[in-house]
Amino acid sequence: MKPAPTLSSAFLKPGGQSLPAPLLALREERGTGLVDMPLPTRKTENWKYSSKYLKLADEMATSLSNEGKPGPSLPAPGYKVVFLNGVMMPEASDYPDLDDIRIRSFRDLSDDEAKTLASRLDSTLDTDAVQMARLNSARFEDGLLIQLKPEARLDQPLFIVHEVTADASGSAFPRIFVEAARHSQITLVEEYISSGSEPVMVNTVTEFDLADGASITSVRLNTEGDSVQHIGATGVRQQRDSRFESHTVGFGGPLRRHDLQVRLEGEGAECKLNGVVVTQDKQHYDNHTCIEHVAAHCNSEETYRNIAADTSHAVFNGRIHIHQDAQKSNADMNNKNLLLSNGAEIDTKPELEIYADDVKCAHGATIGQLDETSLFYLVSRGIGRREANVLLTMAFINELVEEIPVDAVKETVQVQLNQFFEHTFQEA
Amino acid sequence: MATTDQEVNELIKKGYEHGFVTEIEADTFEPGLNEDVIARLSQIKGEPEWMLEWRLKAYRRWLEMDEPDWAHVGYPKIDYNAISYYSAPKRKEDMPQSLDEVDPELLKTYEKLGIPLHEREKLAGVAVDAVFDSVSVATTFKEPLAKAGVVFCSISEAIRDYPELVQKYLGSVVPQGDNFFAALNSAVFSDGTFVYVPKGVRCPMELSTYFRINAANTGQFERTLIIAEDSSYVSYLEGCTAPMRDENQLHAAVVELVALDDAQIKYSTVQNWYPGDENGKGGIYNFVTKRGACIGRNSKISWTQVETGSAVTWKYPSCVLRGENSVGEFYSVALTNNFQQADTGTKMVHLGKNTRSTIISKGISAGKSSNAYRGLVKFGPGAEGARNFTQCDSLLIGDRCAAHTFPYIESKNKSAIVEHEATTSKVSDEQMFLCRQRGIDPEQAVSMIVNGFCKEVFKELPMEFAVEAGKLLEVSLEGSVG
Repeated sequence: MKPAPTLSSAFLKPGGQSLPAPLLALREERGTGLVDMPLPTRKTENWKYSSKYLKLADEMATSLSNEGKPGPSLPAPGYKVVFLNGVMMPEASDYPDLDDIRIRSFRDLSDDEAKTLASRLDSTLDTDAVQMARLNSARFEDGLLIQLKPEARLDQPLFIVHEVTADASGSAFPRIFVEAARHSQITLVEEYISSGSEPVMVNTVTEFDLADGASITSVRLNTEGDSVQHIGATGVRQQRDSRFESHTVGFGGPLRRHDLQVRLEGEGAECKLNGVVVTQDKQHYDNHTCIEHVAAHCNSEETYRNIAADTSHAVFNGRIHIHQDAQKSNADMNNKNLLLSNGAEIDTKPELEIYADDVKCAHGATIGQLDETSLFYLVSRGIGRREANVLLTMAFINELVEEIPVDAVKETVQVQLNQFFEHTFQEA
Repeated sequence: MATTDQEVNELIKKGYEHGFVTEIEADTFEPGLNEDVIARLSQIKGEPEWMLEWRLKAYRRWLEMDEPDWAHVGYPKIDYNAISYYSAPKRKEDMPQSLDEVDPELLKTYEKLGIPLHEREKLAGVAVDAVFDSVSVATTFKEPLAKAGVVFCSISEAIRDYPELVQKYLGSVVPQGDNFFAALNSAVFSDGTFVYVPKGVRCPMELSTYFRINAANTGQFERTLIIAEDSSYVSYLEGCTAPMRDENQLHAAVVELVALDDAQIKYSTVQNWYPGDENGKGGIYNFVTKRGACIGRNSKISWTQVETGSAVTWKYPSCVLRGENSVGEFYSVALTNNFQQADTGTKMVHLGKNTRSTIISKGISAGKSSNAYRGLVKFGPGAEGARNFTQCDSLLIGDRCAAHTFPYIESKNKSAIVEHEATTSKVSDEQMFLCRQRGIDPEQAVSMIVNGFCKEVFKELPMEFAVEAGKLLEVSLEGSVG
């Protein structure tokens, strides 16, 4: 048998050295662990449908320069932190300096603080399951640490804009760590955008650590260009009665991969995961989610919708794992998919793994096209065929778009969707 | 020299006389597997050259393959060189001479299942009068089958008597290199069943391995091939509800079904091999590859299985829906108790236009067992208007057991529609209360509820099988309540 390809050593040479010593040490240690790491292939279960899109040329190994200036600012009503190629840009950012909510770059941490952080990075992730995101720990050059003290509340959403400049081949490794103490609350928007058209890789890791009763709403919007391969991982760890809500909206690219792992570790914790994916042309998008019910009396609710047009490829893999002591768990997963063209492909795998008996778990998945009778109904009432298509497609995801709690994101999504409709449904 | 030649010639002739049922006293092969072993096996079975080549090709493929480890089961590594790949049928003297010599536990189970006395002897491997057996079978089954033109024989006989059919279809559905266990089976298969239903014939009775002569010792590597010609129908039952006595720990069977235009094949299985004791010791490893090809238009293949036995089950009866309007069905009840592990499900591969498939899977796990449904529903680009409905439900009894669902759904055609739903639940307190209130003891109540849970599948089984399957669940669940 042919040996599996391994990660080129070029990818293990970190760039900027501006981090505090403990973080540099961590980075080096994680890097040695990745030497000769096998790259995922078609036989790698969690990359089964996506490995063929992963194309890592050696030119892409170097860190993208963060000398430039970020592009024109996006509408961000609220606070804003801007990252350019994985490094924070304080001049472009605008956020409050509060006693109970500390928002800082990894580079500004004292050695002691950095040491504590180093011991906690990756703690919310099952790194075996997100093998490609492990690269982030070996390469990150900066990061955002958000610490909320007990009862702290941020009054407006915090936008974290990650921009990459794809003017030359290279890669960027944005990183976020959020620590939410008892009963604190925050709404975060992670926005991934790009400029330029050279092949680049963006490899992100975001971690949320929720103490008792904490509440985090996370919005993730992915609209990078067609030369960006995006590999992202989000880890969430929840203690008693905490609540995590996530809204992922993604538009396809040459490779789009997001792993979302939630661990419900305290009784009464709950999470709600929503996701919308839209792909066209030859694009790809792969969402992998995993909810671990570790403690009893936890609830999870997951709703993902994919729309694939042209010859694009959308993948969903949802896993619910109920541990032996997680009695009285409630888990509900729902994945619906819309295939708009015969060249497109959708693959879905909603998994349940259950080790406790007193639980309520259900999952459902469907794949289909727009309903002919509904189209006929609309057309027979004088609505044009194109308009009817748009209406029905919009209806398919509208419930999820409506639930996005930040209006500015909703508007951006709508603009993107309109472009998609424009592209996909021609005037008859 | 002349005499020697004569002797040799006589010897050759002698071998011919006995044909395929030659009584070779060459008891059992030394453990181990290599090309010589396969050549010897093929020679003993008197197979033609092409068959040996076929086996060797499979063996060479097998050598390059790795044992699959993706299934949600755990078992100690199997040493394939510690297994003997041929063992002559047992002589009567070696078998238990009467039921008194049989394990009383086994007899108790027969009692509970209500199995007739003479059948008990046969099942327990007691040396019964073979003449009586074959005569009754010949008269009741062979004649009407022959009249209808249905071929129903062992695969060894088929290789001799119908080589063109075997050559055409053997490996056409499950190729030699399909997977690790299928390759192993193709290299060393011991015996199995061959069924051929000619054009337009509706097989006059339900065929069953149980009634086939010589079926008693098909060995651990069973191979089944069923061919249904245009517009024919056949229903085939495999296994039986009574626990089978068997010394072989590893079973790697291959079943191939071929349905041509308008043909229908219904394949029902009741599997109840030794599952190991309450502590998880012993038990059969059942690694089976079953696949049916709906080649013809409007053809239909239906799998129904009740799986209660074996320590480890690895089994995915599948349908390749190639012909236009062809239909695939899968109805399954898989019950695991104590330390049993099952990873079972189906694959429905839709290639042709307007193909349809239904999957109903009911998994019941009790004790410390683990029960996984693993299924694939795939629509190729040509599967215009294809449709699938999948429902897999799990029932958990006790808080140390596990139930999993791993459904893979892949679609490349926009007009194809797939619906999948799955639920997990336990026997609810309300249901139990209702039964207890009416004076039904807990064990009976659970069995009633479980039977209700499985009803959708049981109604697909041939009638007498369905009754037995109900009883079987009851027996298998014993000790899981209270």
